[in-house]
Amino acid sequence: MKEKIIALMEEVLQLPSGTVSESTRMEDLEEWDSLAHVMLIGELETRLSISIPLDEAVEITSVQEIFEKAGLK
Amino acid sequence: MSHRIAVLSNVNLNFVIRMLKKELGAAEPESLVYETAGYGNELGTLLDATSSYEAFRPDITFLIMDLMEVLDHDLSASSDRIERWFSMLEGALHEERLYYISDAFLWGPELEVMQDTDCRKQSEDRWQECLRNLSRERSNVRILPYRRIIEEIGAENAFSFKMWYMGRILHTNEAQKRMVELLLQTIRLQERIPKKVLLLDLDNTLWGGLAGEADHSPVVLSQEHTGLMYKNLQRVITQMQRQGVLLGIVSKNNEKDAMDIIASHPHMVLRPEDFVCKKINWRTKPENIAEIAKELNLGMDSFVFWDDNPAERELVKAALPQVTVPDFPDKPEELPDAMIRIYRQYFEQAAITGEDRQKTRQYAENARRNILKAQAVDFASYLRQLAMEIIRERPEANLERLTQLVNKTNQFNLTTKRYEQSHMQKLLHDTGKGIYLYRVKDCFGDNGIVAAVIVDLAGTAPAIDTFVMSCRVMGRNIENAIVDDIEKELYEEGCLSLQAQYLPTAKNKPVETLFEKLGYTVIQTMETGGKLYEINLADRPEREYYAEWHT
Repeated sequence: MKEKIIALMEEVLQLPSGTVSESTRMEDLEEWDSLAHVMLIGELETRLSISIPLDEAVEITSVQEIFEKAGLK
Repeated sequence: MSHRIAVLSNVNLNFVIRMLKKELGAAEPESLVYETAGYGNELGTLLDATSSYEAFRPDITFLIMDLMEVLDHDLSASSDRIERWFSMLEGALHEERLYYISDAFLWGPELEVMQDTDCRKQSEDRWQECLRNLSRERSNVRILPYRRIIEEIGAENAFSFKMWYMGRILHTNEAQKRMVELLLQTIRLQERIPKKVLLLDLDNTLWGGLAGEADHSPVVLSQEHTGLMYKNLQRVITQMQRQGVLLGIVSKNNEKDAMDIIASHPHMVLRPEDFVCKKINWRTKPENIAEIAKELNLGMDSFVFWDDNPAERELVKAALPQVTVPDFPDKPEELPDAMIRIYRQYFEQAAITGEDRQKTRQYAENARRNILKAQAVDFASYLRQLAMEIIRERPEANLERLTQLVNKTNQFNLTTKRYEQSHMQKLLHDTGKGIYLYRVKDCFGDNGIVAAVIVDLAGTAPAIDTFVMSCRVMGRNIENAIVDDIEKELYEEGCLSLQAQYLPTAKNKPVETLFEKLGYTVIQTMETGGKLYEINLADRPEREYYAEWHT
């Protein structure tokens, strides 16, 4: 599932494969701004059925936190 | 070619704009995409003369509208709201800019529990109707097939509540990607010169199996299974034909076997009259294609050739490199999709004009004219038998055809100057320019508007800036009549001489000595092979033509 999430992020952010890793943070990527973040949260739900509540979604700032919210420790 | 693109919407499409910028930047670095200030104020943006949109001066504006937001979820007064939106939009349109407006797909949570499904359809229909009317009245307004995207992937994959709640983003990544594709494709349509003729093989191309092989094994073409795949392929091709694509057959068969099927097989969608030419014989395909090019008076680069046999495709590619030869799918079920791709890639036009719809008839008539030409004893008697009529048409009333003629004509084009529609629109109102447009009819039918001349009146002596004529009426001395008409008018207005030019291109060799033949004197020869001419209007030569003038 972790690989799927990372692949989805790279797709939505239009980044080459290998750019995003488990340790990537929002400030590391120019493409990951608030607009892209909304797209990411939406796509996680539509494509991978990972539903993160809105108030929690806006707090997320790293791949690690996405994994946590998705229940992947 | 570079463009200035704006995408306006009543929902958040900033991610679409971001993707479009990236894609377009890679393909056309010169092109610019407008950075929208927000969303939801599309009419205000269009109407405000001081907006950043106005300062950006886009040449193409895309309006992608969510109908539910336009209606503000009030479906009871949808007709009024839609009409008001369109009437306000109309007031904001610039004549010299191009607008693509999305068609309608109504979507919202309440629709899931709505029992009266008519209500939804009524709103969508009203939008479509208003949009269709506007695009008919305004040649610079076109329909963006947005609905197709939603239907292709399904509403459940196209819309996301989550993104809507978070940032008024209505569409999923999948839908947005498809929108970007559609926008890019639409932008590219503006610059590509469409192909004119689709040449088709018969056996295993238009139907499965071999014609005339055996009476007990008829060809595969029916209402089910593999037969339906071929039938659907024919449906796609028929629709293309209705939109102006010319069809031809190039096939190795016994002509009678093949024609029996085309004329009377119950599941044929295409019929004999849908094809402008039929070469069903045992000669090589390049020979047949060359003959068709001659009969239709078209260059090799106007043709797309489609055949299931790879050897035939290679032969045509090698012998006639200018003919486009797309690949053929391995499985018959992929045939309709493959043809749809061929249409989008090679034939689709930015706008379909009335002329396009008439094309098959006109080209078929032309083929009959060429047969008459072979029978007539001499050229003059052929022209007399044609009983041609020439009619001067108002350029203002035929802007789209005028632009099309000037920009698409390659052979009979003396200067090959291209004018975009917006520029042409300005020329119409320019008193320093005279624009002449001609329709030609003959005993076989109406050829449509086939010639245009732009005369520059601003200099000391008037000069022919542009002279184009459709190849389908070339070689009928019509140019003599047209030049006579213009010279006569200018002389009556007090002009004593008229200048003209020939600027050579790879394609306009046929008219290299046109002005010499018309009795003009070369006054200057350029290094590039171009020539400048002049004629004394008080002493015009007698020119032969066999056409009546009508008004």
